[in-house]
Amino acid sequence: MLRPEPGRPESPRDARPGGGGGEEGEEGNPFDFAPQPVRLHRDHELFEDGDVLRHLYLQDLYVSEEAEDKRALCVSEFACHFSSCSAVFSSLEEYEHHYNSLHRHVCCSCRRSLPSARLLDLHIQEWHDSLFTILAQRQDMYQCLVEGCGQKFRTSKHRKDHLVRIHKYPPDFRFDKTKKNRGTQQTKGQQQKDTAMEVVDEVCEGTSDPPEQGESMETYVCEEEAARMATPASSEEHADVSAADPSTESPSTEPPKARFSYRIPTTVCFGHGSVRGFRGRRGRRK
Amino acid sequence: MWRLNKVRHKAVRHGDSLEELKLKRREHERALRQARRDRQLVSKRLLLNDDEDQPEVTMDTNTGEQDAVGLFLKLQHGGPGREAHLEALSKVLRDPSAQLAFLKQENSMHLLVGFLTGSDATCRLQAVRCLHELSHSPHASVSSACLPATPYLLTYLSGQSTKFTELCLYTLGNLCPDSDAVKEKLLAQGIIPALANCLENQRHNLAVVEAVGFTLSQFLQAKNAAEKIIPAVLASSLPSNLLSVLTPDPKFGLAPAIECAWCLHYLACSMKDNRELLAHGALLQCSSLLVSLGGAVAEGNKEEGLELFICPLLRCVGNLLSSCPVKELSTQAGDVRIVAALCTLVQAFLQSRPALARESAWVLNNLTALSSASCSALLTLNLVPGLMKLLPFSQGINTMILRILANIAHKKKHFCAQLTRCGLLSALCATLKMADQEMVTLSMDVLYMLVVGGPQVAEEFVKQGGFPLLEALQYNGEGAIRRRATHLLERHLLSCSSYCSENVPCS
Repeated sequence: MLRPEPGRPESPRDARPGGGGGEEGEEGNPFDFAPQPVRLHRDHELFEDGDVLRHLYLQDLYVSEEAEDKRALCVSEFACHFSSCSAVFSSLEEYEHHYNSLHRHVCCSCRRSLPSARLLDLHIQEWHDSLFTILAQRQDMYQCLVEGCGQKFRTSKHRKDHLVRIHKYPPDFRFDKTKKNRGTQQTKGQQQKDTAMEVVDEVCEGTSDPPEQGESMETYVCEEEAARMATPASSEEHADVSAADPSTESPSTEPPKARFSYRIPTTVCFGHGSVRGFRGRRGRRK
Repeated sequence: MWRLNKVRHKAVRHGDSLEELKLKRREHERALRQARRDRQLVSKRLLLNDDEDQPEVTMDTNTGEQDAVGLFLKLQHGGPGREAHLEALSKVLRDPSAQLAFLKQENSMHLLVGFLTGSDATCRLQAVRCLHELSHSPHASVSSACLPATPYLLTYLSGQSTKFTELCLYTLGNLCPDSDAVKEKLLAQGIIPALANCLENQRHNLAVVEAVGFTLSQFLQAKNAAEKIIPAVLASSLPSNLLSVLTPDPKFGLAPAIECAWCLHYLACSMKDNRELLAHGALLQCSSLLVSLGGAVAEGNKEEGLELFICPLLRCVGNLLSSCPVKELSTQAGDVRIVAALCTLVQAFLQSRPALARESAWVLNNLTALSSASCSALLTLNLVPGLMKLLPFSQGINTMILRILANIAHKKKHFCAQLTRCGLLSALCATLKMADQEMVTLSMDVLYMLVVGGPQVAEEFVKQGGFPLLEALQYNGEGAIRRRATHLLERHLLSCSSYCSENVPCS
């Protein structure tokens, strides 16, 4: 809306790294902020309201502030910054809820979003841990999803049966969906699973099919909840939150690619409750 | 006489409900907005008679036309009662169709000019009143019929009769916007020097000052004003005289000061180089006026119509600052208390006139961009928390506020530390989540400066949960945003200990 005029000489200030130029010897510093006074010419749109007020006064139509119709002041919207998620919110609380529900527990290997830290742990374990695979051949490794139960099972099917029989999960609760290939977008290196564990939000009651993305292990969010959380352009993409997953993005947009820092050891995770899993997997994506 | 202390509505008639009034007003406002977008925003002013409170328009057009013709014939015929006839004519000429009927009569203007230049002072007054009514017509054909009278009107500007001079001035001011040809003619006839002399000689007469201001403002709004009109104005005594009457007189009211302030604004915003205005001390005077107005507003003394005065002053200061050579800044805009006044104005106008809040913030941006002292003052006077509270508001307000904060951070490292102490980090955690890309980019610029300014800042930011925000921004659609996020993460945040301590090795 308002851009500083170029060419204005900068005021003298303490020599310090900051803005215009960045730190010495540092390449590729993208920060180029510099204080700039802005000159507004007579016809600038920013002057519109004031000019209209002036002329209303000249034409004897001036109304004092008290008598004026009060228009509600606009508040900035918040937006989810994952590029595949175009949700926009009018309050910070809504944004937080959306983010915490859908983007918080993200597996950094496959970019899937899980509803809780525990389920994320289980996911990582069962999907991305080769040790788990090896051990699972010999002992009961598949944990019951219900917290506090503690039982373990040999296969995910056994676990499913347990969940249905003992914990009264509905039998058509998205269990054991076989992983389908998504064409060329198949992530490499991901462990092939015959049976897949559907990670579901345990408070969810509905069994409406999650938006079909082909691949299992998607976060399944109740559609009512998803609808409540935001007014997104593409609500189905909530379920598969991977921002950098090309398969979820419309072909027209330029998907920003996931960044993998070379400096981060693969076993280290970032932040508290944030993206976790094995990082630094190169060549996973096209 | 037109004065601000009576709020009047042209549309007010008995029987108009409040809702109808509001509707009419909104329509008017819409029309004015569109006119501005079309670069056609012009207004004329009607000076009412002393006994009038409202512009009364006769409802019966037929009578008006007949009366106009009848009066004309009587006047042409001569004889006693001319003054009464002329007075009656001036009232009749309020009606547009009467105006047309009058002008259709051959030699009607010639007759009026005759009275205007005659020896009878009362007839002169009534004649100029007739002309004034005609000049107020929105039809160019009507007002351009008044052109033969203009050289005389100009001559009379150096006269001493207040009422008469006012009418001459407003008439000339009304004729100005009608066409380029009219403007050319008036300029050739020497209206600028005439206005300059008038103001010089009648500075004490505030009614005349207001009229001069209005008329001058009409010329200054012309499309080609920068080429022809403004250089002539700047070379005259007008700028210094306009400045000398800028302080409002408490008894008389704001109106003359309002007109002069708008003239100064048109001067300041039309030229890139404002050295003449600066040399006259315009920046200094407008700034100190804003300081006292800000103080009045802070105490709750918001006179009705004050924003009509504050608005052009803000614009003058904003644009003069951007033209002011840095060396002269301290002499030109010396009083740093203006930062407090500007903050007061932003907050005072936020709900009622958000555009003015935005203009106040714009001035503060220009000031902080140029003056380290103003940045320091904002911190010392503890005005930063109040500014941060404005960060949720859109329509250009929060971006301007964030620029101001960025200007402060940019100046000195220890300003950054103070900003951090004000709680800027948690405000940034909110602004980084906004949909507005400019807000997000600026937020990261500010964050970068804060982080670079002090070692603990990065840790503090991570502690406040800022890390995942930046991670998310790495996937934003805008390259400029992604690059900033990555830079901050890789170069500054990953190394901080509060982040490292929360590492959770994956199974």
